[in-house]
This record gives sequence, C-alpha cells and structure tokens, in this order.
Amino acid sequence: MTRSARQAAVIGGNRIPFARANGAYAQATNLDMLTATLDGLAARFGLAGERIGEVAGGAVLKHSRDRDLTRESVLGSRLSPATPAYDVQQACGTGLETAVLVANKIALGQIESGIAAGVDTASDAPVALNDDLRRVLMRLNGARSLGERLRAIAGIRPGQVVPEIPRNAEPRTGLSMGEHAALTALEWHVGREAQDELAAASHRNLAAAYERGFFDDLVTPFLGLTRDQNLRADSTAEKLARLKPVFGGPDGTMTAGNSTPLTDGASAVLLGSDEWAAEHRLPVLAHVVDAETAAVDFVHGGDGLLTAPVHAVPRLLERNGLTLQDFDFYEIHEAFASTVLATLAAWEDPAFAKERLGLDAPLGAIDRSRLNVAGSSLATGHPFAATGGRIVATLAKLLHEKGRDTGNRGRGLISLCAAGGQGVVAILEAA
Amino acid sequence: MSLAPLYAKAAVGAVGPRASTLPDTVLRRSVDVDRTHLAAYAQVCGFRFSDALPPTYPHVLAFALQIELMAGRSFPLPLPGLVHVANTITVHRRVDAAERLQLAVHAERFVGHPKGAQVDLVAAVDVDGERVWDGRSTYLARGAHAPEPGEQSPPPPEIADGPPSAVWRVDGDTGRRYAAVSGDVNPIHLYPLSAKAFGFPRAIAHGMWTAARSLAALEGRLPDALTHTVAFGRPLLLPSTVELRTRRDGDGWGLDVRSRKGTHLTATAGDRPGA
Repeated sequence: MTRSARQAAVIGGNRIPFARANGAYAQATNLDMLTATLDGLAARFGLAGERIGEVAGGAVLKHSRDRDLTRESVLGSRLSPATPAYDVQQACGTGLETAVLVANKIALGQIESGIAAGVDTASDAPVALNDDLRRVLMRLNGARSLGERLRAIAGIRPGQVVPEIPRNAEPRTGLSMGEHAALTALEWHVGREAQDELAAASHRNLAAAYERGFFDDLVTPFLGLTRDQNLRADSTAEKLARLKPVFGGPDGTMTAGNSTPLTDGASAVLLGSDEWAAEHRLPVLAHVVDAETAAVDFVHGGDGLLTAPVHAVPRLLERNGLTLQDFDFYEIHEAFASTVLATLAAWEDPAFAKERLGLDAPLGAIDRSRLNVAGSSLATGHPFAATGGRIVATLAKLLHEKGRDTGNRGRGLISLCAAGGQGVVAILEAA
Repeated sequence: MSLAPLYAKAAVGAVGPRASTLPDTVLRRSVDVDRTHLAAYAQVCGFRFSDALPPTYPHVLAFALQIELMAGRSFPLPLPGLVHVANTITVHRRVDAAERLQLAVHAERFVGHPKGAQVDLVAAVDVDGERVWDGRSTYLARGAHAPEPGEQSPPPPEIADGPPSAVWRVDGDTGRRYAAVSGDVNPIHLYPLSAKAFGFPRAIAHGMWTAARSLAALEGRLPDALTHTVAFGRPLLLPSTVELRTRRDGDGWGLDVRSRKGTHLTATAGDRPGA
C-alpha cells in the first residue's frame, strides 16, 4: 500500500490506578476521574494552558447528564479552554478508537497534537428511570391541558418506581459478555488450566512491571491508590484453580480469577506530530502505523461476541505486508483469559483460516513470551473505555525501552475486543 | 459533625455577663481527611472530587473550632447574631487528602466597625510543621462595642456590569445540604420558618457555600497556591437565581455573585490577585 501521510507519534500517557468497582473510587464520577487524568497528563508534559489540537474521549457507562463528558472535562482541566473535544463510544474499543481518530487527524495534518482518553466507572453507573415511568413523565411534559396532565399522571403505577439498573448484557441476545465468552471458549476448546495460567502470568507481569518502576511515568496516584487495586502479585495458577466457575454453567471453565472484574478508572495518551513533539522538547516513544476495526455478526451469524479482532488482524497484516510473527510485543486485551486463548487458537486454525478468513494458510502461533509482558486487563482490571489508552501508552513505552536497550526498531500489535461484536486492532512501531 | 449542641449552648448563654476582651485561647486539633466527607463537600459546592483539597475545604474542618471558641462566655460577642462579613483564605501549596492536618484556631482583632464591633477568627493548617493553609473569617456583631476602633480593609474591586459568565438556580435545600457537610446548622440557613424566627423572610445560603460555589466555577483556571478574598454582601435568600461574573484580574480573577436583590459577594482569587 502507498503511504502519503505522516505517522502520528505517541509521546506518552497517563492513567490513574484502576480500582475495583465500589472500591477506592466508589464516590468518584467519570468527570472526576477523567479530569484528574488529563491534569496528570498536563502536569507530566507541561501542557498547562496549552491549546491541544483535540481531545477525543469517551465512556461506555455514561450518565445522561454527562453529555459531552470529554469537553466538560477539558474545561475543568489545566489544558487551555480553547482545546476542542468530543466523545466517542465503541464499547471496550473506545479507548483505542479515540487514539486511532486522533492519530489519523495528525497523520492528515489537520492537527499537530491530540489526546486520546477514556474513562469508566461501574461504581457510579447511571441508573435510569423505569422506562414505563419515563414515558408517563414525557407525556406529562407534553400535556397542554389539566385533563391531559391528569390522564398522564393516572398512568403512574407503583411498579414503575423500580429503576433500570444497567446490565452487562447484549441487548440483542440477552447474554452477558461472560456468557458469550463461555460459548466461544467451548467452541475453541479452551481449557481451564490454560486460562488460569494466563491470568497468573498477567498478575505476575504487572507486579514485576510495577516493581521495576515501569509505571512511574505512566500512572498518577488517585484517591489514595498508587497501584491497580485488582493486582494480586502472589497469584498463581494453583490458587486460581480453586475458584468455582461463574460463566458457562457448573462445568464452565471461566472464574472470577480468569475474567476481568468490574473496574473504575481513566487513561489518556498524548499524541502529536514529530515536529510538535520536537518543538515542545517532548520524546517520541513510538508511531501509530495503522489500525483496523472489524465487526462480526454474533447475533445470527454464528460468530463469538468478542471474536472480531480475529478478523481485523489478518486484514491489517495484509495491508501492511506483515505476518503475525513480525512483532516484538503483542498486547491482546484480556477481557477474559479465554478470549485471548480463543483468539490465538483461531489464528492457528487452518480450517478457520480457509473457510472464515479466506486465507490459504493460518496466521500461525505467536511467541507467547511476547504477550502482555507488562500485564493486562486480568491484573489491572478493565474500566471499559480506559483500557485502550492503558495499552497504547504501555506498548509505546515497551517499544521505546526495547529500542533504547537493543537498538532494535521494534513493532507491536494491539488487539482489543469489544461488546457489540466489534474489535479494534492497531500497529505501533518504535520511534 | 453537627454543631447543634454548641449552637444551643450559645443561644442559652447569649443572655448574661460576658468577657469584654478576647480570650487568648488557641484551640488545636489533628484531623485526618475523611474522603467520603470530602466527596460530599465537593458535590455540594461544585468542586471536582480528587486528592487535592478544595481551597475552602479546610475552613469547614476548622469551623467547629471557631464555633467552640465563640460559643463560650469568655468570648465577648454572643454567637447568635454574628454575621460573617469577610473571609480570606491562603493556600500555600496543594494540600493532599492523605496528609494529617494540624488545625489551630484563635480570635484576634476585636475592633470597632461602623455598624458595631467585628472580630477575626483565624485558622491555620500545618502539615508536619509546615504551614499549608491560612484562613481569616471576619464576623460582625451589630450594635456591639469593641475596646478599640478598627480600620476596614478595602473590599475586593467591583466587577463591571455586563453579561454574566453563568446563571445558577440555587435550590431551596441548599442551606440544608451545606449544613450537612459543613456542620454549620445555624437555623437561618435551614428552613423558611427557622429563618423567620431570626428576622429573615426565608432561609439564606451560607456565605461560605456561595464563596465555595463561585470559586469552584474557576475550576482549572486557578493555580494550586492561591489567595481567595471574599466580601459578603446581601444575604442570598433561598431559593434564588443568581448570576456569576468573572474577570481576569492581573495574575488572578475577580468575581461577584448577584441577583435582583443586589450583590451577595465580591471576591478575588489567584496567585497574586490584583497584581
């Protein structure tokens, strides 16, 4: 493929430690967390009062009062109020999609700098009015006469005081994400032991990364938390093996240990042109090479809810003339351990490659020692829209470190599955 | 942290002999910030909830000590009827909610005022011996006499008329909500009926709520270290619709809060406001 555009630089990132739902951030709103995260980024890179090209952010669980959440957050932050912002919502893909959008505008020369952000809270989640009650109130609002008003009020029933709590379920299937993932795990024969090993590795890798100070310039403490609350440094596959399954019935393989918990948190990534970074004396860690988003028909088409990255990656590799083995790091979002393992299995399967991906040969296996080397969502937790930003900043720094230590201009692959049968994947290259 | 018993004690003790000069008492207390309380305060006043204490937050921590000092007979002015007329806060550096705060409160500058006598309640917050926050609340007792005449510090400059930066609806329960987070349960702030007993047509907003709410409107525009000076004007009757006007003022900001009834407060805030 021909490239005429320049590549956006990943300059750095900031996030707050991720907290378990109803934990350290139980009283914090999305606006509180996102503003703290942007302020932390501004402090780290000297952006106070700076007009940034744009801030793209979003949240998956969002109150109706949080219209234009990201712009509101920018207005309350130390960034210049002349910084435009907009919200994006693409389930768990949100945080990576915002990075792709900002990177594309930088590549096109429409902006010189940008921030990609995401935030989510499961503790301060919106609770909506009962839908029947909401209809009554809307009728009441539109009533023009006393009679109409009385008729509207007469429609109120005691049962309508029960509010609608958001559920982690697909609207079209009624199944939770975990139940969907359990179906995929079964389809790809993903065993319990392999899932527990992957989960233990995630905790081990994250703990080691914290220990060596890897997150010192990626994380700003918030509300008393200095590390991800979900991290269990002493986690082992043996300990995880004792947990009872929570998805897939009594014979299921998915537990609270190898599934991500509900989490609160926020992340932000600073992107820019190389010129902008140089002008501001800021380092360039990596460049955004390319990205692809795929979607699958998980409702009627027989695809797994979280399997869209399986389709996105081969398209991305093809366009960039790369093979799956051409990467130094793989960041595959651990929505569930089984999701990662099913994704890898699909890429290794010759029949699937031929029949579903239209390829002569499967993508093949990856070197597992390059997978999620600084931990991933099973250990950090997964505040939906904040995960993409966490991964982009982590991978950019990993690539930068490797380049510095070995002189090797490394390459990394990001794969993020999302509810709604979508998946966002991207390639970063060390600067 | 309701101060109702102290108010009751002060009301009972309002009649009878009092000291004629200020006590030289310094009340001290160590405080660990309760983040749940901080979150509630931030929500009522419109601040973001984070690790940094809002500039006005230590005032509510020190307020109980202020009342304790003013409620006794050794204090020359009766607490009921004291009007908060001015307030100055200096934040010397960002104060983190995880820090243990050493509070000290004393009274000084008991002097005459054109309408009576005034006194300053001075609060200081130290962290490990380092001064991080200073507060000075000036109260007026109408018709009272002070041992010496006083000089009035000039009020913050007025803001020019013009379109407001913001228009807020201040709800009728604002006084009760602020009372719950500040401990200031003075009946004039709570209900129309309890306010009427003290000569107000309706409940009035706490001055420090209006001060905090208008300061919160400058979210993101203020440095960590700052001075916030407020002169209170007409009582803000609840509910009300008020207008906020802000103006860049040297390195800081000037602001006022008005309604059709008049100006409720005028303030400056910033690194070196007015400089």
